[in-house]
Amino acid sequence: MEQQQKKESKQSEKPQYIRAYAAMVLSRTLDKKIVSAQRQGRVGFYTPTMGQEALQVGVSMALEKEDLVYGYYRDVPMMLHRGVPIETIINQIMGNSADTAKGRQMPSHYTSKALHFMSVQSPVASNLPLAAGAAYAIKYRQKKNVVVTTFGDGATSTPDFHAGMNLAAVFKLPLVFVCENNGWAISLPVERQTPVEISLKASAYGMPGVKADGMNFIEMYKVARAAIQDARAGKGPTLIDALSYRMGPHSTSDDPTKYRKDDVKEGSEKDPLVIGEKLLVSMDYADDKLLEKIRNEAVKTVDEKFDACEKIPPPEPITAFQDVYKNMTWMLEEEVKDIL
Amino acid sequence: MTSKTMNMVQALNSGLDNLMAVDDRIILLGEDIGTDGGVFRVTDGLLSKYGPERVLDTPLVEVGIVGMAIGMAVQGLRPIPEIQFQDFIYTAMDQIINQMAKIRYRSGGEYECPMVLRTPYGAGVKGGLYHSQSGESYFAHTAGLTVVTPSNPYDAKGLLISASQGEDPVIFLEPKRLYRASKQEVPEDIYKIPIGKAEVVQSGDDVTIITYGAMVPTVLDTVKKNNLNAEVLDLRTLVPVDKDAIMHSVQKTGRVVIVHEAPRTGGFGGEISAMITERGIDFLYAPILRVTGPDSPIPYRMEEYYIPNERRILNAVRKVLESA
Repeated sequence: MEQQQKKESKQSEKPQYIRAYAAMVLSRTLDKKIVSAQRQGRVGFYTPTMGQEALQVGVSMALEKEDLVYGYYRDVPMMLHRGVPIETIINQIMGNSADTAKGRQMPSHYTSKALHFMSVQSPVASNLPLAAGAAYAIKYRQKKNVVVTTFGDGATSTPDFHAGMNLAAVFKLPLVFVCENNGWAISLPVERQTPVEISLKASAYGMPGVKADGMNFIEMYKVARAAIQDARAGKGPTLIDALSYRMGPHSTSDDPTKYRKDDVKEGSEKDPLVIGEKLLVSMDYADDKLLEKIRNEAVKTVDEKFDACEKIPPPEPITAFQDVYKNMTWMLEEEVKDIL
Repeated sequence: MTSKTMNMVQALNSGLDNLMAVDDRIILLGEDIGTDGGVFRVTDGLLSKYGPERVLDTPLVEVGIVGMAIGMAVQGLRPIPEIQFQDFIYTAMDQIINQMAKIRYRSGGEYECPMVLRTPYGAGVKGGLYHSQSGESYFAHTAGLTVVTPSNPYDAKGLLISASQGEDPVIFLEPKRLYRASKQEVPEDIYKIPIGKAEVVQSGDDVTIITYGAMVPTVLDTVKKNNLNAEVLDLRTLVPVDKDAIMHSVQKTGRVVIVHEAPRTGGFGGEISAMITERGIDFLYAPILRVTGPDSPIPYRMEEYYIPNERRILNAVRKVLESA
C-alpha cells in the first residue's frame, strides 16, 4: 500500500519537477538573451534574474491557478512557470504595441492580469501593503485563494515592509511573504542592510518565519507549500527568507565589480540550475540527454520568440496618454492636441 | 425623497451608510473609525450596523491604510479609507502617487483602482501645525487623481456618493472647520452631485470670486455683509476643474479674485489664474488677485491671522474693482 502511494506520487512528481526545471532553463536562456540584446542596443534596460530561478519556481510550484502574486521586477522565472507567455515578457521589455502596458513602463515591469500577476512597480516594497489589501479581499469574499508577495532583502528596511507584515498578521490574512534574499540591494550587502537574519523579523509580528534554501527548487517548493497551505487553511501569514544569490548585476546599468568579488559563476556548483540538474539525475527523473533537449528547446524558443517580438512596431503615440483616468480629462485632451 | 436637517458630519455619515447598504464592495478602514466612530464621528454607528469585516479599525499606519485600500480596490472592492488628519497623510504619499494614481496607466488599463480616500483638512479648529494643513496642491499635481472638496453638507454627501461610484481614485478633502458649522436639509437617500462641476453659489456682475472648501462661507459672508455685486464660484472639484464655469463667469465680470486657505506659492490659485489668462486675457479689466494663507506653517494661538478673512478679501475685491 505504502509502496503503491510512493509510486503514484513519483509518477506525478516527475513531470512536475521536469516542468519546473524547464521553466528555470527557459528563464535563464531568456535572461542571457535580453542582457546580450541590451549590450547590442536592441533593448533599453533590464534587471537580470539569474540566480533566483529555483526560489521563484519553487514558490510557483506551490501555487494554484487562481492564487495572486504581488511581485517585483525580478520575477520572470515565476511568471514563466505560472504560464505567462514568454511573449508577454519580451513585449514588455521591448515596450512594443503588443505589450500589456502599451510600452509605458521601463523594462522589467510586467503585468499579467490573466495569470493573476499584479503589475510591477519600481518603489521597493510598496507592493506589500497592496498584497495585504488583496489578501483581505480574498478573505472577505471567503475564497480559498492566497496571495504571495515577493521582494528583495533591501525591502526589509522599508516602512512598507513593516506595514504589510503587521497588517497581514493583525488581520490574519492568507498572505505569504517571500523575501528573495539574493544578498545584495544594488551595492549594499544584506549584512549591512540588517543585523539580524531576515526570518527572525517574523517573530516581531507573531507570525512564523522560515529560512529556505532558495538555490534548491525542491526544498524551496516544500517550504513554500507548507506556508501556502497554512495561509489557505486560515492560519495566517508566513515570512519566508529564501536564500539565493543575484548572479548578475542589479541592472544592465550596474557594474558589480565596484562593490563585490564573490560572484557565483554560471555552471558552478552553486548555480541553482546545476543544483537542479543534479537533483533530477539523482532521483532518476532525467538523464543528460533529456536535460540537453530541454536546454536546446529553450534556446530555440527564446530565439524565435525574441526575433518575432522585435518586429512588432511601437505603440501608437496616443496610447502614451490614455488610461490615466477611465476617461481622458479635458486638460490632458488639450495637452495631447498640442503634442501630437 | 425624505430629507433631514444635517451638518456635514451627519451628511457624510448618511452617505457612507447609503453606499454600504446597497453595495457590499464598500469597505471602510482607518484609525479609530470603528468602535470610536472616527475622531470627528463621520463613521459613527457604522461598525455596529455593518460589522467588523466592513468597518476596519486599523493599526496606526497611514502607508498601510492607503496601501491596503489600493490592494482591495485592485481586487474588486470599493474601499473608502480615512486618514485621520490630512497632515498625517505624507507617509502614505508614495502609495498615493506611485501606486494609487498609476495603477490603471501602468497596467495598460488591465487593473483599476476605484476608491475614495477621505481626509479632514484645513485650519480653524486650533490644531496648530499638524492638525490644520491644506495640502490640496500636492494631490492636484499628480496625474491620475481626482481631487474633490465640498463646502456644505448637501454637496458633501452628493459628491461622496459620486466619488465612490466612479472608476478612478478620488482624494476627498473634508474642510473640518465646516464639519459642524452649519446645517442644511439633506436627502436621506442616495443622490449625486457631479464631479468636475463648479457651482455658482452667488450671482453677480462686477467681480468673480473663485474659491472652494472652508473659504466658501467666509467669502459669501463678506459679499453679503458688504453688499458686493460679486459672483461667487465654489469649485467643488479641483481636478478636473470646471473651466467652463470659470471662463463663463470671467467673461461676464472681467475681474477675478481667488481665495483659498492653502499657502500662496504653488497653491491651486496660481493654476486657476494661469488658466484664465491663457484662455481669456482679453476679458480681463484688472490683474487677477489671490487671497491665500501665507507661506508659513499654521500657528496655534494666532490662527486667525493665518486664515484669509473678510478684511483681506474685501481689500482684494476693492483693488480689482478700482483697476481701469
